[in-house]
Amino acid sequence: MGNTMTVAPAQGDGSALLCVKGLRMGYGPVEVLKGMDIEMKPGERVVLIGPSGSGKSTLLRVMMGLEQIQHGQITFGGDPYITADKGKTKIDIGVRKKIGMVFQHYTLFPHLSVLGNLILAPCKVAGESRSSASERARALLERLGLSHRVDAYPAQLSGGQKQRVAIARALMLDPKLMLFDEVTSALDPELVAEVEQVILQLAAQNMPMMIVTHDMWFAKNIASRVIFAAEGRIIEDGPPEQVLGNPREERTREFLERVFHIKT
Amino acid sequence: MMSYDFSVVLRFSDALTLGLVMTLKLTVLSILIGSVIGFAVALARTSSNGVLRFICATYVEFFRGTPVLVQLFWIFFCLPLILGVELSNLVSGVIALSLYMGAVSSETFRAALRTVGPEQHDAAIALGLPSHVEVTYVVLPQALLRAAPPLLSNSVSLFKESALVSAVGLADLMFVGQNISNTTGRPVEVLTIVALIYFVIAFPITRVVTVFERRMLRKLKA
Repeated sequence: MGNTMTVAPAQGDGSALLCVKGLRMGYGPVEVLKGMDIEMKPGERVVLIGPSGSGKSTLLRVMMGLEQIQHGQITFGGDPYITADKGKTKIDIGVRKKIGMVFQHYTLFPHLSVLGNLILAPCKVAGESRSSASERARALLERLGLSHRVDAYPAQLSGGQKQRVAIARALMLDPKLMLFDEVTSALDPELVAEVEQVILQLAAQNMPMMIVTHDMWFAKNIASRVIFAAEGRIIEDGPPEQVLGNPREERTREFLERVFHIKT
Repeated sequence: MMSYDFSVVLRFSDALTLGLVMTLKLTVLSILIGSVIGFAVALARTSSNGVLRFICATYVEFFRGTPVLVQLFWIFFCLPLILGVELSNLVSGVIALSLYMGAVSSETFRAALRTVGPEQHDAAIALGLPSHVEVTYVVLPQALLRAAPPLLSNSVSLFKESALVSAVGLADLMFVGQNISNTTGRPVEVLTIVALIYFVIAFPITRVVTVFERRMLRKLKA
């Protein structure tokens, strides 16, 4: 892909849920994403894998409007919401709010109870009443097996519980796409399953998602599509059986062998 | 050997009470005004405006780097000359101690603001919180909770430092005590009682700070 490529406004065809076009971003002279194009259909669950420094997490942060980009455009449901424009990044917050994100390091608000964490955004941003938001929050926490922790503070929770609360907090805003950035990487191994279980439940309800993970079992079980990225570029993109089981690209094969000891 | 008669002090309990009320009034006003100044200055020092940052830094360093007694004298005697208005003793005292408290507490707030990490900002953005909601409901409560113990310590210090206003003739507890001690010729009894009154008020607060700090750190350590 040439450096001088220009981006046509990515109206896209109506079937794409998310469309990333010609995305480049970097910090000063260091380019992290060197031109990425991704089109995601509704109901797809995309797992991003790749060595550290490949730009996987950066891509999710860009999609969430947390980073400035130098070039490209991202549309959601046909609406452009992140656009590079003369060195500035324009973000349409109304569109971006349809996307939820969960981070590696919980990022719960430590001064608020579990309930307080869940209802802050619905009450203060969406203008929902406290009682209505609390009711929804309790129902959601019950589904996630956390009803006994409603009044607990983040410091009193296990890592797995914190991460499930973080997922619940994002779900309170009724997202149409969820981004998971290495959400189990900071957890003790015995706590990983309870968090992955919650995400698998969401998958069963057809929630579109994009997931960065280093957990191969999880990747195989949740992905409808796997993207292998390295050094800011997409190297291979296809169904999990192909990318994880029988990769076409030598770099994918080499990565799987080196990191996961998967012989393909 | 001299005999001590503490009942002397009792005869002046009304005067001492008035002095204590003055000390408390002065201290509480200065703590409130000073904390607001301190928080505003701490926020201003994170601003992108270099001039504003420089003015705030100069103010803080100047008031932290000069004796409180000199600041008091300057505001009591020089400020009215410069402004051309007479200020009451209490007003001058509150101005001086508020400015001192503002400088000291701004450092407390600055440290507290720094402990609210960038990941909290990421979470706020991800939840679509506009910046005024983020500041009011995410940053401010955490900064205040973290600042509370050192702020209480600052307040206890200010309560004790406030005795310096007696040097410029403001009738606080120390001033009244000194007068009584001079007129009765019984400095040991009077000044001991005065010291005890300061201690009885300051000591419980320092204990509260310790307990509060321990509890709060446990809660926020997430």
